[in-house]
Amino acid sequence: MAGPELLLDSSIRMWVVLPIVFITFFVGVLRHYVSQLLSSDRKLDLEQVSDSQVLLRSRVLRENGKYIPRQSFFMRKHYFNDAETGFFKRVKRKVVPKNPMTDTSMLTDMMKGNLTNVLPMILIGGWINWAFSGFVITKVPFPLTLRFKPMLQRGIDLLSLDASWVSSASWYFLNVFGLRSMYSLILGQDNAADQSRIMQDQMTGAAMAMPPDPNKAFKSEWEALEVVNHQWALESVEEELMARDLDFGGIFSANNS
Amino acid sequence: MASLSEMYDVGWEEMRDKLRKWREDNCRNSEQIVDVGEELISEHASKLGDDVWIIYEQVMIAALDCSRDDLALTCLQELRKQFPDSHRVKRLTGMRLEALERYDEANKHYDAILQEDPTNTAARKRKISILRAQGKSTEAIRELNEYLEQFVGDQEAWHELSELYINEHDYGKAAFCLEELMMTNPHNHLYCEQYAEVKYTQGGMENLELARKYFAQALRLNNRNMRALFGLYMSASHIAASPKVSAKVKKDNIKYAAWAAAQINRAYKTELLTATRELSGGKLFNRTYY
Repeated sequence: MAGPELLLDSSIRMWVVLPIVFITFFVGVLRHYVSQLLSSDRKLDLEQVSDSQVLLRSRVLRENGKYIPRQSFFMRKHYFNDAETGFFKRVKRKVVPKNPMTDTSMLTDMMKGNLTNVLPMILIGGWINWAFSGFVITKVPFPLTLRFKPMLQRGIDLLSLDASWVSSASWYFLNVFGLRSMYSLILGQDNAADQSRIMQDQMTGAAMAMPPDPNKAFKSEWEALEVVNHQWALESVEEELMARDLDFGGIFSANNS
Repeated sequence: MASLSEMYDVGWEEMRDKLRKWREDNCRNSEQIVDVGEELISEHASKLGDDVWIIYEQVMIAALDCSRDDLALTCLQELRKQFPDSHRVKRLTGMRLEALERYDEANKHYDAILQEDPTNTAARKRKISILRAQGKSTEAIRELNEYLEQFVGDQEAWHELSELYINEHDYGKAAFCLEELMMTNPHNHLYCEQYAEVKYTQGGMENLELARKYFAQALRLNNRNMRALFGLYMSASHIAASPKVSAKVKKDNIKYAAWAAAQINRAYKTELLTATRELSGGKLFNRTYY
């Protein structure tokens, strides 16, 4: 390992490392409560709920259809998949593409999301950078290449300093992502302080209960249902049942509720 | 009159936990809930914290069952004060009106909820139960069908519909509803058994065969289902006794019926004997009040 081993002042640990951890944590908790206050109720569309349940039913038919008689299974398959009258063939939902720029509810949601998540991150990151500049905080345990130096060592212009030594801003960002598990421990699952999840949501597009295009969902469900065959699970149920004596285990006992 | 906590030497925490257990298990022991709940909210309301609201709801519904309108009204007023705009509380108001048989007012309440929120399933289901309470089965069936067209996944509703069809002796449609339930709950032996019974009632060789198979399935899922065992015996012997079956089918069914009869005998002989021995050994009063 190239580069000298630096000995850092222990007051760095007390006055910089720990305060940054606390600041990040409390700002995260604050963000969670603020976003809860600002969050609006998501109005569920009747059609969406209905469609999602229909898809669920079709999936159940595919998976558990073997428990109902052959006739009933084919009756339901016909209801869904028939060429002219089948549900998946007949029903075409009008798909309104949700343009984020013009759809007002999505716009306000996006703005609220930005306000509660990105803005504090930028502000606090900048403040930390300004307040705790000019010295290294800690050393990351793995070696880094020289290209990381300008990113991780803001404000320190030492050419020979190993890239593993990082400044306070990078420690702050490390905390932001690292404290995610702490948040779920304290605030419970599905909390708004979980930044990376929010970013994931933004990347996958509209995070709604139904995929934005129900027609596509219908089509894929139709294909899946077409290929399913009916293997009746009850073909030889009597033989299996009568292979051994029944286990009555305390059937008439007083403690049996 | 001594309070429950003195009679049974339980603290308020135990009462609260018991209420929670009944709530989670969906028990309908309304009289017990009213007794325990009334004491809990009159003596210990401040110690319950935020739990008190859900206990109010639970006690209110139990009070309606026991026609304790005074208690129901108290609970409802507390809930209304705390949650003035809640649909859930409005539904409770409607339920109280139903209990007082003021069905038109109750209907108006539910319509108001549905106007604000068309996806509210609770209000729709209450409207259907009003129809059922008034004895208008055909309309209830029609409304329930429409409801199920939109909310295909509601298992409670499918079960209710199967009950309504059975009452109207429309066994084919009842069987359809039970099939839905069997698909979504493949390991529930009670649905299999109920389906088998409907098929048996429908009659006809095919249906009897199906009935026998589903009785067997119910037994496979739960060996202790006595009713299914009897059903298996009856359907097998019925098929065997029918003149139109082939010799092989007859032989098979006689074998099934004989096996079922042997199992029944075994159950009543050995198990009942052990149970009687237990009882006479002084274990009769082992059960506690709850």
